[in-house]
Amino acid sequence: MRAALIGAGQIARQHLSCLKALPAVQIAGVCDLSPAVAESIAERYGATAWFTDHTTMLREVKPDVVHVTTPPTSHFRLAMDALQAGAHVLVEKPATATLAELEELVRYAGGQQLALTEDYNYVFNHATREIVRWVETGLLGAVVHVEVMMALDLFGPGGFADPNARHPALTLAGGALADFLPHLASLAHQFTGAHRRAHAIWTKRRPSILPYDELHAVVEGARATATLGFSATAQPDAFWLRVYGERAQASTNLFETRLTFERLRDGPKPLQPLLNGLEEARAVRRAAVGTLMRKFKPGPGTYDGMWHLISGTYAALAQRTPLPVPVEHVLEVNRMVEALKPEGAAS
Amino acid sequence: MRALVTGANGFLGQRVVAALLAQGHTVRALVRPATSVEEIGWPASVEIVRGDLRSGRELAPAFDDMDVLVHLAAAVTGGDDAVFASTVSGTERLLTAMAGTACRRIVLASSFAVYDWSVIRGTLDESSPIESGADLYRRDGYTIAKSWQERVTRRYAAEHGWDLTVLRPGFIWGRDHGYLAACGQQIGRLHIVIGPFSHLPLTHVDNCADLFARAAADPRAAGQTFNVVDGPGERIWSYLGNHLKHSGERGFRLPVPYTVVYGMVSLAFATILKRNEKLPHVLVPCRFESRLKPLRYTSARAREVLGWRAPFDYEECLKRTYG
Repeated sequence: MRAALIGAGQIARQHLSCLKALPAVQIAGVCDLSPAVAESIAERYGATAWFTDHTTMLREVKPDVVHVTTPPTSHFRLAMDALQAGAHVLVEKPATATLAELEELVRYAGGQQLALTEDYNYVFNHATREIVRWVETGLLGAVVHVEVMMALDLFGPGGFADPNARHPALTLAGGALADFLPHLASLAHQFTGAHRRAHAIWTKRRPSILPYDELHAVVEGARATATLGFSATAQPDAFWLRVYGERAQASTNLFETRLTFERLRDGPKPLQPLLNGLEEARAVRRAAVGTLMRKFKPGPGTYDGMWHLISGTYAALAQRTPLPVPVEHVLEVNRMVEALKPEGAAS
Repeated sequence: MRALVTGANGFLGQRVVAALLAQGHTVRALVRPATSVEEIGWPASVEIVRGDLRSGRELAPAFDDMDVLVHLAAAVTGGDDAVFASTVSGTERLLTAMAGTACRRIVLASSFAVYDWSVIRGTLDESSPIESGADLYRRDGYTIAKSWQERVTRRYAAEHGWDLTVLRPGFIWGRDHGYLAACGQQIGRLHIVIGPFSHLPLTHVDNCADLFARAAADPRAAGQTFNVVDGPGERIWSYLGNHLKHSGERGFRLPVPYTVVYGMVSLAFATILKRNEKLPHVLVPCRFESRLKPLRYTSARAREVLGWRAPFDYEECLKRTYG
């Protein structure tokens, strides 16, 4: 299959690293407004051609799949152009700046029988997949509640709060935090299903150009409830996912490889905390070493979920089987995102 | 001469502004919008213009009435992509803005990093090969960005017929910048000095700034590339010893032969480390070489073309750094 990519920034390199490793995929074209970025990224990842104008690339390359990895406010126009050129589209999160734009893309893609999917890479991380396996095999029991909490320092130089060059994500409703909201919502959706009700509190703790630096929300989903959180001030950086089942509880830090389970066991009840504690200590020790070793190994590293998602998407497109992230899920996640946006900002 | 200086508030930039002023030139300093410059203590004659190369808005007016662009701005911290975007895309925006103005001369701060250290033997000079092709992307993000910055600048200069001078400094040292990557590997108070008798391609920031100012004003520099080193360079062992002595830092030096460590790194990289380029720089052979390979260095071309000699000797530079 012929792949093309629009927007050759940081996340694009992760897409291209994965595409380069897929034997049945040719990186047919890359596009960026900066000629040097486009040319260098093409040279680095062995792309057949590079462009600074995406319409020229779509016309000349005729890709089967287009990855849209530009700043989010440009996604709608670029994704629509790619669909109109007859390509399937994998768009980075947030898929579009507004829900209305996404619904328009979905309608068009459906009419043309083209695939449209969004990158929810943390849903496909090894730890998340392991928890899903525990759910599917009944080890966790029915999911009761999910906690998703990201702590990430956004105040470093060159980051979202850099006053010298405004980050493109600041134009989104909710500002920089809206850039991370699809991660939180897609993980919650994985375990709760479509939301019924949602309530979010957006606050600001530190003076900066960010409109908000804290988000905490409660969601009632079709199958379970969830709490979602983002803190730009809580440290150290971490991305906690905790799933409460009727038979066990799973906890993982998605920035590391830590994954622990606490479960109901046969035998004397007073021993259960001890046995769970010993098991958790073993898992944490293993994860501490694993997180370090991951830095020394070739391959996707912390982006293993993205590699799983991209390779799965290409396999599904080739075999005409359901996508890892079907468009219905994209819509449900984005409806949850819409419901969580700060008051007065919903589209 | 009227010079627009980017990166003017940086370690090198502040000294280049001072050198330009000392040589009687007029300076316009381009600094980021939120950067505080009061503590630098520039005289009132230095005109300050605000702009960020990452956004590219309103850069063209900065070139009004300027004779030369002294382009020092480059990112030295942050992720590889942020460094590239800031350094290379920023240069594209700056030079696109310049293309619509009457300014037709550039002095670019490149780096020793752009050379292909793996193939160079003996003396590294301006005729030595530079890193290119797929091998470039095995180097660190700073090297990739500086190589592309030079490539982009040369293309713009050729397209628009500008006079370009490229200066490639070695390790720039000075006050608060005495400890260099080439000093080896520090573990607590222990300094593992890899190749203790190797020479360092050193240029003190005041010497380096002097050459930038001279190159900006001297028409003989047009079209030239100069390596910037003060001379053959101190040996790592004595340089680090001086640093520890004068800075008051406590430390112990452990000498190890370069060839032994390089052999171990190369063997490990090819076997147990599986050629993983995400490793720390010291464990990737091509990056190891670019910091530590024992070569000889010369400032002969700057001397031959411009008659330049480093104005301050090593002892004077020590006083300026630690005094």
